[in-house]
Amino acid sequence: MISVKNLTKTYLVHKKQNNLLKDIFFRQYKKVVALDDISFDIRDNELVGFIGPNGAGKTTTLKILSGILYPTSGNINILGYIPFSKNPEFLKQIAFVAGQRNQLIWDLPASDSFKLNQEIYEINEQEYKKNVADLAEILNCLKMIDKPVKTLSLGERMKMELIAALLHRPKLVFLDEPTIGLDLFSQQNIRHFLKTYQQKYQATIILTSHYMEDVKALAKRVIIINHGKIIYNDQLKNIIEKYSSEKIIKITLDDNCDEKNLTLKEKPFFYSFPEIIYKVDKKTLPEKIKMITETLPFSDLTVEDKPIEEVIKEMFRKS
Amino acid sequence: MINKNKIKRNWKIFWLFSKFALKTTFQTRWGVAFFIGGKLMRFFFLLGFLFLVFSKTKSLYGYSFQEAAIFFMTFNLIDNAAQFLFREVYRFRPLITSGGFDLVLIKPYHPFLRILLGGVDYMDLLTLVLYLLITLYFAFQLPYLSFINLLLYLLLLTNGLIIATAFHVIVLALGILITSVDHTIMIYRDITSIGRFPLDIYREPIRFVFTFVFPIALMMNLPAQVLIGKFNWELVVVAIVFAFGLLGFSMLLWKKAVKHYQSWGG
Repeated sequence: MISVKNLTKTYLVHKKQNNLLKDIFFRQYKKVVALDDISFDIRDNELVGFIGPNGAGKTTTLKILSGILYPTSGNINILGYIPFSKNPEFLKQIAFVAGQRNQLIWDLPASDSFKLNQEIYEINEQEYKKNVADLAEILNCLKMIDKPVKTLSLGERMKMELIAALLHRPKLVFLDEPTIGLDLFSQQNIRHFLKTYQQKYQATIILTSHYMEDVKALAKRVIIINHGKIIYNDQLKNIIEKYSSEKIIKITLDDNCDEKNLTLKEKPFFYSFPEIIYKVDKKTLPEKIKMITETLPFSDLTVEDKPIEEVIKEMFRKS
Repeated sequence: MINKNKIKRNWKIFWLFSKFALKTTFQTRWGVAFFIGGKLMRFFFLLGFLFLVFSKTKSLYGYSFQEAAIFFMTFNLIDNAAQFLFREVYRFRPLITSGGFDLVLIKPYHPFLRILLGGVDYMDLLTLVLYLLITLYFAFQLPYLSFINLLLYLLLLTNGLIIATAFHVIVLALGILITSVDHTIMIYRDITSIGRFPLDIYREPIRFVFTFVFPIALMMNLPAQVLIGKFNWELVVVAIVFAFGLLGFSMLLWKKAVKHYQSWGG
């Protein structure tokens, strides 16, 4: 469905010279590489998460794939089209939803914006009514459709944005931070909706989010990008296996244990009686557990993987 | 070949944009009243000024009161028609700086349907009808009005509107390239306002500049000259060629701008 080969995007950015006159009359520009020769493929019906810190190139990638931005170089083929040629047949098969962007008419009910999209995407009346009803049902928001957009909360507005964007049942959906700024409950609702939508309509979804919860809940495969380069492109579950060399041992000490008599043979990562946390090398795990069980009086012991967020942060630091 | 279905679809989208623009406008009824009141006040003040000038003189650089009024009304017709159709251009900058333009670019229609024609201002339609009636009133007072001149007048009004369209497309393209819309549109408005009165009242090289550099004479004055029968055919041909040339240039600039669009605000 999506094939990207050697994609590069450079922006021309005004270079500050710390001199107002020079900045006005002799302005200089520098090239900033937003995407540096990246290549990847995405299959039909995949939900892929794009992860990266601010300025890594996630949104730029999405904007190039959807035809908003013109690439500096490289080849892109999506559904048999070159995105920037803006072929209406291509645009009818995609949707772009951004948490910080608004396509609804602010002063009017969302239903008016839906009507507009019905005409733009040439959806027949029967299909239109069914799609609105289906999407509103999954999002549980039928009552909000006829309220002016300006009177809706951010979470409610996001639901309306999703209906407006998905009304034409796009094959490919770009989601750029769809849960940004939402409370935890709304975030959960949106995640549930996206999961249901993808399963029900077999859509291909590319998602960027700063919330790892979004990615963990939705994406099986992730593409991690930093400084415009792809540093990981595989299943999410494999990240820990491939990149984490540590395990976490969490111990709850016995209530009867006297803290004064406690001697800690190994320096813990965290200690606040009765809780101790050790970070240990995977290879030495059996040995450490043996040592702990022999020397510490505990009521509970668990071994966990390092949180995925920590592993990814470490990847960013190393890249 | 003209694709009838495509035209029909674009017309439907245009109609919906216009309908929703009207609904949005009437969210603030007092705003509507003040807008129309202000426009009419400015119009009648300037028409009154013209009366005042002609109460002291019989002609203005050879033009009678009716003829000068035709110049004034022609300016108002083109200016008002451009505002009626292209009001959305005035709201383009926030769309660019907020990144909202991204969502226009991914729609399967020409972006002009939204950013050029997507905010038809029906309040301007009210004044446009009024201006048309007043123009006809003055036109039928001319002693030498002919059907051919009237037809040619309509043709050149359309030509003036094509030049206005090209200017608005240039403003949109500059909006993308330099994120400045308010200033460029105000420069356009200030320059075109010179066309309220016959440019003959100015000396050279001002007349040349406002004929061929900023084509206000071709856009606003020439239709009026045709209606009153004081024109030359060469200038009519120049005006038509110029209008299509400028429209072509504006489209090229627009294509360049979209290619250089950087999508701010994300």
